[in-house]
Amino acid sequence: MGVTKEQVESSLKAKLSPSHLEVSDTSGGCGASFVVEIVSEQFDGKRLLERHRMVNAALEEEMKEIHALSIKKTLTPEQWKQQQEFNQSNSAA
Amino acid sequence: MWLCSCAKPLTLQLQSRPPSSIHSHVRRVTVTTSTLSLRPSSTHVFTHNVHFQPKLKRASTTIRCSSALTPQLKSTLDKVITTNKVVLFMKGTKDFPQCGFSNTVVQILKSLNVPFEAIDILENDMLRQALKEYSSWPTFPQLYIEGEFFGGCDITVEAYQNGQLQELLEKAVLS
Repeated sequence: MGVTKEQVESSLKAKLSPSHLEVSDTSGGCGASFVVEIVSEQFDGKRLLERHRMVNAALEEEMKEIHALSIKKTLTPEQWKQQQEFNQSNSAA
Repeated sequence: MWLCSCAKPLTLQLQSRPPSSIHSHVRRVTVTTSTLSLRPSSTHVFTHNVHFQPKLKRASTTIRCSSALTPQLKSTLDKVITTNKVVLFMKGTKDFPQCGFSNTVVQILKSLNVPFEAIDILENDMLRQALKEYSSWPTFPQLYIEGEFFGGCDITVEAYQNGQLQELLEKAVLS
């Protein structure tokens, strides 16, 4: 029962070829709750809702067993870079 | 973050939930749907779910591919989301959300003083399954603004933080 972090990662990698991916299992071990941060070129030109739909679609099989999927970030590489730079300049200040 | 700690408050709320709230909620939803539906049988689907449920469960295990979203239910949902400017399909009620994610969206909408219609999908499993298809969205809550699917909890939180939600809701309420 349950889905592993690795399964979630490999499905997302296969379908969205992310340049950055962070999956954390927040279920406390039962594999039913995950938090996802993903950066992919495929998000380019897509609205937030469409991006979330793409992540949901990539995890269609897994979603049958996942109760809570929290998609924290869906960014394009460009947005990701900007955010990293912003964070760096903020922490330096 | 607090919105992720869904499990513990859930059990507490389930225990402390007064039975009267269930009835008052069912009545409220009944009013909504019956005023919206053209055929009395649509109301049936929402209110008599207790009697329908065992039958539905059997059907869903034998015919897995069959759609929960019947044309009749679809037209009822069309009416629900277009007649109300803001509709939240959630787990539990406004006053007793049964899940941290639903609670988050309720608190956001309440803090913005937006009148919204909340429909408890835990009351009706057929509605719950049908909505996943209707919105092409696998989880709850599901927020509709002016007849359009806006998003789930994460999208609502993000849009609230960057101000887009306030802007959209303001337009919706004024229109």
